[in-house]
Amino acid sequence: MGDGYSKFRVFGCRLTRAGLFGGGKNFTCALFCLFSFSAVAQYPGYRSISDLPTFKKQFAAQSIAISTITSNFTQEKILSALTEKITSTGKFWFKRSNRVRIEYSEPFFFLMVLNGDKMLFRDDQKENKINVKSNKLFQQINRIVMDCVQGTILDSKDFSFRVFQDDGTLLMEMTPSSKALREFFDTIVLTVEKKDFSVRSIEMNEPLGDVTTISFTHKKLNEPVSDAIFAP
Amino acid sequence: MRFLLLSSVMLLLGCASDYRYLRAIQVDADCVNKIAPRHIQTSWYHAGVDVAGNHISGLLLIKNMPDSSNRVVFTNEAGITFFDFGFSNDGSFVIHSIIRKLNKRPVVRTLRKDFELILALPFGKGSYQSWVEGEEVFLGVKQKNQTAYFIISKDCSSLHRLEWGDARKRKVTVQIIGSGYPAPEKFELIHHTFTMRISLTRFQKE
Repeated sequence: MGDGYSKFRVFGCRLTRAGLFGGGKNFTCALFCLFSFSAVAQYPGYRSISDLPTFKKQFAAQSIAISTITSNFTQEKILSALTEKITSTGKFWFKRSNRVRIEYSEPFFFLMVLNGDKMLFRDDQKENKINVKSNKLFQQINRIVMDCVQGTILDSKDFSFRVFQDDGTLLMEMTPSSKALREFFDTIVLTVEKKDFSVRSIEMNEPLGDVTTISFTHKKLNEPVSDAIFAP
Repeated sequence: MRFLLLSSVMLLLGCASDYRYLRAIQVDADCVNKIAPRHIQTSWYHAGVDVAGNHISGLLLIKNMPDSSNRVVFTNEAGITFFDFGFSNDGSFVIHSIIRKLNKRPVVRTLRKDFELILALPFGKGSYQSWVEGEEVFLGVKQKNQTAYFIISKDCSSLHRLEWGDARKRKVTVQIIGSGYPAPEKFELIHHTFTMRISLTRFQKE
């Protein structure tokens, strides 16, 4: 997905330098056409959603109907320059509001619990408890994870958005606004099921071309989830 | 006066070399050829880093490249890359990427030396010197103002640990735990001059 965007940027640059369309209206028109083509080429089968404000309202209203999620996940990280791939699996729980548990089980153990202002990290050696109020970075991570899960991400000031759809899914391309986040991500692409507004996958594209994709499977929505599993 | 005496004794003890009991011996070339640390094979490790009371964990990839250089990549569990370093056999070092928070000269210098030792790079060049202490033999390669040691059993049957040290002080120790070297089950790297520990536990990726 990163390639399409690069091509657009490269083409855009060439057009500007060569002055192929003589500037003014023609140039703007050509650039617009190129941009539209690029968006479609980047996400084959998807078409752009232009009325973002209406979509935002609809999305927030639908997402709020999800009170709990239990799901398996598979995470795949591709180190593009090294032709290496690492796959990990685990379980994910969400309970409205502001509670998430992400537990990696294979091929290593790692646990992350977010509960309001509290975060817990545990690996096979140690446990760290953090109050996010004391750390801006953790505050931001907490907010982004919660916004993604609770369906409020489109209101986030941390990203600019482009939204696309095909018959079964919505695709939200999030581009970080702040320099701090741009250091880690070129874009984050969220794919959401239209049928129940649950997240199907999260793709994190790093500036040097590495990609991490988290795919959610065996999702159970709105089934009882114990508060105890979110104990920080 | 009593305080002065106590301080002097403490100062003398503090200045005592960690290597004062080493006794120089002839290098056993056959033993060096048999047991000298070799380049780590491509492996994934679950990493824990403890620095000054803080603990971070993540995944560490050591990858042998076709040009015989090595790449060391550290990411967090969620996949975000913290650093990607390149080490060549000729001693050159390349930072392919590093996050701003870690991109400080002392941090990079420390990590570079730590991974050079883990990758056994100092042992590929220079001439060896040898010492004995108790039941262990130290084989060292001098590098500027420090020496890289690998420490083996007296009968040359097992590799115990790797070390960086200067004339007086032991600086860094790498314990090699479990079987399978040059891709052992575990590395424990300990700094002796400040509080830092890196623990690497190998896992099969799929």
